[in-house]
Amino acid sequence: MSTPVAANVITQVRERVKAIETMPSIPQVFLPLLDMLNLPPDLVSLNEVVKLVSYDNTIAAQCLRVASSPLFGLAKSPDTIKAAVISLGLRRVQTILLTCCMGKAFPAKDWPLDPIVFWRHSLGCAMVCRQFSEKMGGGDREKAYMAGLMHDIGFMVNCMVFPKEFGAAVKYALERQIPLDVAELATMGFTHCESGRALAELWNLSDDMIHVIAHHHNPERSGTAQPLVALVHLSDLLCRMRALGYGYYERQKVDLVEDPAWAILLREHRKLDGVDLVRFSFELDEAVEGISHLVSTIMAGGNP
Amino acid sequence: MNAGAQPAKSSPALSAGSEPVDPVYRQIRDLVYKVSGIYKTEEKLYLLAAGCGRRMKQLSAKTSREYWDHLTAHPSRDGEMRQLLNEITIGETCLFRSQPQLDALRKVILPEIVADKTKQVTRRLRIWSAGCSTGEEPYTLAMNMMEESAGTLRNWTVEILATDLNDHSVETAKAGIYGDYALRSTPDYFKRKYFVPVEDKKLQVRPEVKKLINFSRLNLQDDSRMLFMKGMDVIFCCNVLIYFDGSSKSKVINHFYSNLNFSGYFFLGTSESLLNLNDKFHLVHFPGAIAYWKPSLKSGKL
Ligand SMILES: C[S@@+](CC[C@H](N)C(=O)[O-])C[C@H]1O[C@@H](n2cnc3c(N)ncnc32)[C@H](O)[C@@H]1O
Ligand SMILES: [Fe+2]
Ligand SMILES: [Fe+2]
Repeated sequence: MSTPVAANVITQVRERVKAIETMPSIPQVFLPLLDMLNLPPDLVSLNEVVKLVSYDNTIAAQCLRVASSPLFGLAKSPDTIKAAVISLGLRRVQTILLTCCMGKAFPAKDWPLDPIVFWRHSLGCAMVCRQFSEKMGGGDREKAYMAGLMHDIGFMVNCMVFPKEFGAAVKYALERQIPLDVAELATMGFTHCESGRALAELWNLSDDMIHVIAHHHNPERSGTAQPLVALVHLSDLLCRMRALGYGYYERQKVDLVEDPAWAILLREHRKLDGVDLVRFSFELDEAVEGISHLVSTIMAGGNP
Repeated sequence: MNAGAQPAKSSPALSAGSEPVDPVYRQIRDLVYKVSGIYKTEEKLYLLAAGCGRRMKQLSAKTSREYWDHLTAHPSRDGEMRQLLNEITIGETCLFRSQPQLDALRKVILPEIVADKTKQVTRRLRIWSAGCSTGEEPYTLAMNMMEESAGTLRNWTVEILATDLNDHSVETAKAGIYGDYALRSTPDYFKRKYFVPVEDKKLQVRPEVKKLINFSRLNLQDDSRMLFMKGMDVIFCCNVLIYFDGSSKSKVINHFYSNLNFSGYFFLGTSESLLNLNDKFHLVHFPGAIAYWKPSLKSGKL
């Protein structure tokens, strides 16, 4: 696949991302929430989360609406964050809040990559990561979800920081029906992995998350977070093969079991072998409508 | 989905009407999947419920629970499952049944096979539509291959073999005359290019298309004949294996494996799965389509 990007290119990308003043302003509650997700569950209290969220009413309101999506499993919108936590658990509610924050950081605009398509893919990937880790047993499901949700933020960085170059890359990919990262590398000399990484560093994300963002197209390059990166890599491929890709036909044949990421993940989770990939794909197809709906809720902003 | 909070969109938790689905049908769905590899999505669950309904009438079963017992308790269960499968798989077919399969074939598989075989003297592509019913599937394949004849398949000979157990179906297939219903998914472009109008507002497949196809009667359970089907590049056996039980299914799949060339592909219907009946095939994904791949000799992963 892609050749490693030279260190000096990475530095240049980093400098340009830093220099941009209109960098996505993530809602203030985002980073503290994300940090909390990394703490052992017994160290995080409901009250802390509620207090944090009370600083941003729109996020809280949106969270309550998202919680009633079939993908999160509540039949009726809870009235308060507290009620949501009682039904869904604290960690699940945290990831819902984080999802809403991400929607705010990258609102709908006329960008080279349609944000709606981008969000469908990212949310799809988040769901698949979570379901994969559920099926494999063990592993942190909510962390897997966040990894899937954030893996491609580099695309949004490209839209904001390198709109012209990235626009050309998208066009190149569409015309040839090839993967976007291959087109990025061919036309820009770097990919969303490098620009995403620059933003992740700027935001001080955890090392695991940085690895996911930087290496999800080549999981074997991640040293410490290999299984998580491999999980995202496989989920990304599966989404792209099941109507949750980047909105165009990719001439590709995907053999998940033969992918090096499969072996990486299998070392950690023996139960992966028993996952019925065909049935999994059918279930994913069923989720597509719910995901699209969720995207419109998230993009609708704070007020219904 | 919460119907109250959202605009009236079709909701997966609800059936085609607005009755919530009886959870027993989800259990039956899972059982059907386990036995046949057919997966009825939430959206299609009402079809399964309708099929069960017809069986329940026959059996005078009053509740879905009672019917569940017929499906799970000895001695009736195997026979009843078969009856139910017949109900939910009635000889349904049409032209252009799965566009993603056709895309996978034209955009990914053909270029791969052509690149692979380019050093060989005979540039011949062999496709088999196994269980072709009244011909819609093989004609669809033939037309799509003709679309590639100036491009990827330039200077190639295409042979399509179309077989079915049912004599009447094979005869109908040979005639190649279709009405609106069979043509409901066929793009106008194909209708104009590959058909001629005949009586009753029907369309007949042009002779050039028919020329690519060889129709015959074949029972997939006939081992001696199956052994002779050789040198296939791609096999389509869509919505057929559902009629078989586990062991006859696995027998047919093993035949398909030997019938295929190395690097050949095998497609099932879009809601079917091979389950774990054959571990020599690789499961591969294309956008919107799943296929089984017979590894190449050089990949060394036999
Ligand atoms: C639902 S149709 C499928 C038609 C077409 N392949 C499609 O997917 O639209 C199933 C066909 O399988 C055929 N069939 C069932 N058992 C068979 C057997 N043992 N050998 C060959 N064909 C068989 C039936 O005659 C019927 O025409
Ligand atoms: Fe990516
Ligand atoms: Fe991705």
